Amino acid sequence: MSLNTHVYQIYIAASPEQVWAAITDSEWTRRYFHTTSFVEPPQRGKAYRTVRADGRPAIDGVIEEMQPPLAESPGRFVQTWHILYDAALEQEPPGRVEWTVENAGEGLTRVRLVHGGLGQSRLTWQNVKDGWVWILDSMKTLLETGNPLPRVRDYEGVVDAARS
Amino acid sequence: MPSVEQGTEVFRALADPTRRALLDRLFSHDGQTLNELCQNFPEMTRFGVMKHLSVLAEADLVLTARQGRTKRHYLNPVPIEQVANRWISKYAARFTSALVALDDQVIAGSETEESRRPESA
Repeated sequence: MSLNTHVYQIYIAASPEQVWAAITDSEWTRRYFHTTSFVEPPQRGKAYRTVRADGRPAIDGVIEEMQPPLAESPGRFVQTWHILYDAALEQEPPGRVEWTVENAGEGLTRVRLVHGGLGQSRLTWQNVKDGWVWILDSMKTLLETGNPLPRVRDYEGVVDAARS
Repeated sequence: MPSVEQGTEVFRALADPTRRALLDRLFSHDGQTLNELCQNFPEMTRFGVMKHLSVLAEADLVLTARQGRTKRHYLNPVPIEQVANRWISKYAARFTSALVALDDQVIAGSETEESRRPESA
């Protein structure tokens, strides 16, 4: 069986370009993604690192694909995902996060998120399972209303819950 | 199917016990193939399982992804979260789960009380 992958999908009432910016531009990410931002703007083939507002490290890895959405082709942003926000999770092998951003018509954009490569990373698998639901929900709320979801939990809380 | 109508699709999909059972199977073991899912429902035809899966897919509750030649099915919890959020605000979510926990404790407590009663009587 394949307990190595999570797959999510959400529809957002925004353009593919706006959603793409929300995923790749720190001005957006810090507003819905646990305050995290890219230290340097992400570039295809380059290493990246994200940090929280207080400077603590969050994630690092490599940007494997970075193809913005065009009229007829979906946007693809693929990053290896090595967690830095928790000591135990940091020890597990990195996974891979793949974003696909696609025009779904009627003013909607379909976002599909695949977090794979977690076969040897049980703690991470459990930790990010519900975390991504909150992130996607928060991104949707921010893009559609201008405000992110109120902060109800942070990384530590989620990690503790996964361990208990 | 998304946006305003999504709630309707989700409720329709969840109304059927077999479809809820399929979601339960994916919740405990995400990423199953059609064959693996069918093994859990020996009383149902392969076609029957496929039909239920397609209703779940229309509601966005089940997503498929190909791994080489294998097509795997994944539970997408996002629509359920959105349906829940429509009536339960994010502020209330914690409070609500605390109440549910309290309720469970009270029920557990009263069951213990009842089991003691015959001895004391």
